Amino acid sequence: MTLFHFGNCFALAYFPYFITYKCSGLSEYNAFWRCVQAGATYLFVQLCKMLFLATFFPTWEGGAGVYDFVGEFMKSTVDMADLLGLHLVMSRNAGKGEYKIMVAAMGWATAELVMSRCLPLWVGARGIEFDWKYIQMSFDSNISLVHYIAMAAVVWMFTRYDLPKSFRLPVTVLLALCVYKAFLMELFVNIFLLGSWTVLLVKAVLTGAISLCSLFLFVTLVHSN
Amino acid sequence: MRRPVKCSTTCLNSFPLTFIVFIPAVLILVSPLPAEAAHEFTVYRMQQYDLQGQPYGTRNAILNTEARTVEAEVLSRRCVIMRLAEFSYEEYQKALRQSAGAVVIILPKNMSAMPQDIVQQFMELEPEMLATETVVPVYFAMEDDELLSIYTQTLTSSSSQGSLSAAEANGFQMVTSGAQSKAISDWAITSLEGRLAGVGGEDLPTIVVVAHYDSFGVAPFHKRANFRCILHTTDTSTLHTHFVVFRYNLLFFVSGGGKFNYQGTKRWLEDNLDHTDSSLLQDNVAFVLCLDTLGNGDTMHLHVSKPPKEGSPQFTLLKELELVSENQFPDVKFSMVHKKINLADDMLAWEHERFGIRRLPAFTLSHLASHRLAQRASIMDARSVSPPLATERESPLLGGPHVDVQKLSRNTKLVAEALARVIYNLTEKGAPGDLQIFTEQMVQDEQLSAVVDWLTAQPRAAQLVDKDSSVVSTLEDPEFVFYDQLKQTMNAYRVKPAIFDLLLAVCISAYLGVMYLAIQLFFHLCTEPFSAHT
Repeated sequence: MTLFHFGNCFALAYFPYFITYKCSGLSEYNAFWRCVQAGATYLFVQLCKMLFLATFFPTWEGGAGVYDFVGEFMKSTVDMADLLGLHLVMSRNAGKGEYKIMVAAMGWATAELVMSRCLPLWVGARGIEFDWKYIQMSFDSNISLVHYIAMAAVVWMFTRYDLPKSFRLPVTVLLALCVYKAFLMELFVNIFLLGSWTVLLVKAVLTGAISLCSLFLFVTLVHSN
Repeated sequence: MRRPVKCSTTCLNSFPLTFIVFIPAVLILVSPLPAEAAHEFTVYRMQQYDLQGQPYGTRNAILNTEARTVEAEVLSRRCVIMRLAEFSYEEYQKALRQSAGAVVIILPKNMSAMPQDIVQQFMELEPEMLATETVVPVYFAMEDDELLSIYTQTLTSSSSQGSLSAAEANGFQMVTSGAQSKAISDWAITSLEGRLAGVGGEDLPTIVVVAHYDSFGVAPFHKRANFRCILHTTDTSTLHTHFVVFRYNLLFFVSGGGKFNYQGTKRWLEDNLDHTDSSLLQDNVAFVLCLDTLGNGDTMHLHVSKPPKEGSPQFTLLKELELVSENQFPDVKFSMVHKKINLADDMLAWEHERFGIRRLPAFTLSHLASHRLAQRASIMDARSVSPPLATERESPLLGGPHVDVQKLSRNTKLVAEALARVIYNLTEKGAPGDLQIFTEQMVQDEQLSAVVDWLTAQPRAAQLVDKDSSVVSTLEDPEFVFYDQLKQTMNAYRVKPAIFDLLLAVCISAYLGVMYLAIQLFFHLCTEPFSAHT
């Protein structure tokens, strides 16, 4: 509702990224431009996805209140392009596993923050009217950061040639979960009619679960090697 | 050679930082603020005008203040919201004394549901409110659910101040868009004129039927019902077109600016008598019948400035009115009220006095006995329109206590009959007193109520009426000076108090601190196995 409120929201959204960037040691590797490149790849992938969706998915003329499960499912499938994009970024970077993951995830998540959250915050949080949704948006960006790190890790693991057979299934499941997480969230909202804070909580829990699993798998994989 | 390279490298190194700092600064300077309201509603400012240099009503128009109710301790520079049901003059005065930023009075949608004593009290207060010149703007708004919820929320936060809940309670910022009010330099009054030429010779005397259509109240929006006169006028004119009018010319005039000392009539008279060579008004005028407040009541008064002489057309009309009301409408008490014109008064009492000043014989018909009665200039004189009922044919005739369509049609018939008897000279010809000229089909109640609904649905204060087909228009008027910005949109934005921001900042800092520690711990724990591995 004022510049101060905007400052609050921006700090809440951006500082974890900053902290992560500093603490993960990426700054020592001069990874800033690589992150920016990852961000550019993000933009490119989003553009392709939008074009694809616009061309092949016509607007659904159904009832206003009914949620089109099949349509939304198909649209979420297009989000597989995210995985391809992450893979592209990681393959272009030489280095250790976690370095690649962190660079890709940081760049991707920061680009998403700038593109999809900064502008609404700037325009909305600075206005006279107060709304809780800006704080929620900032929290959501934190959750997205964790989500993208987990996603990058899972993609990296999936593309490893030395992945043990027993890991294949869990990794694939996690991959699918990552892609369809948005769809699952929408499903929950429509079925259970959750309030906005509850949605945030559920999202956090889901992302936490995915990331813990992927972390566990990652650590085990790296340890075993 | 090395220095430029060093400079450029330092620049490059610090480039990300400058990038991050510079762009937001540019954005701050350049971008405008959006407008997204919690609730947007129309408000009407209290009348503002100058009469003979004497200012009346509120002066200012712009508003950007927090909302409070009267229970709050500090009212200065706040917007005080009051409901009509809880309105009291002392609290209003208190708000003004503490130099409140503005006052918003919420009026209920259904006026007739309000208890009568509150309505009466407010009607009496209206002229006092207008007479005190206030610097703070006073607005009137119609109540709806959102506004009511805003009011209740403001009430709870105003009465409990200083508690912890006040830190996170919702406040409301009331903002109006629009400029400062300034005087309207050219204000056109729209008036309508219609005539029915008589048959039977040259130089026929003229009967003029006059009514004013505008409304007046402390807020210039209410559906005040002087339109009844228009109904009379239109009804009478349509009734009389069924017949061939002879012996008299009929002139119908619906004037604007009636509530402001009958400006429309004044201009019309000046136009006809001073500026044109020949008009119906200059020639033989039998009498001028002005209609005022005839939609209710069981009495009818004929206000005259001097009692009509025997044998004159005015006397004939008086007698006919008495005859018709005695014989055909016994429930109507008819009487004549004599009041001399007092030129020393600021405002003329009745419309016929305008004609009287120009030496034209005139009188006013009204159900009110005195010109001073508050009902004539009040926003309470509204009709509560209920759309679902209006479409039913069998419903009892609707209307609040202020407009009764039955009585209106009865009065219309009375006047029309009396006029017809005068025009056709029926009494002299020996027609009995209870001859009904106008039958049921001619004066139809449903038709009347439909027109009533349509007319009451529009605000007809003189300042708000658009210029459509104007027959008579006028330029600057030295008597009255009007101000614009009467109808505005007010936005109520939900805001949180400043302390909430600080609280939030503290919470966010705590959260970020925890986050920092967590991330540190995470990397400390997780990178150890990797570094051991490599």
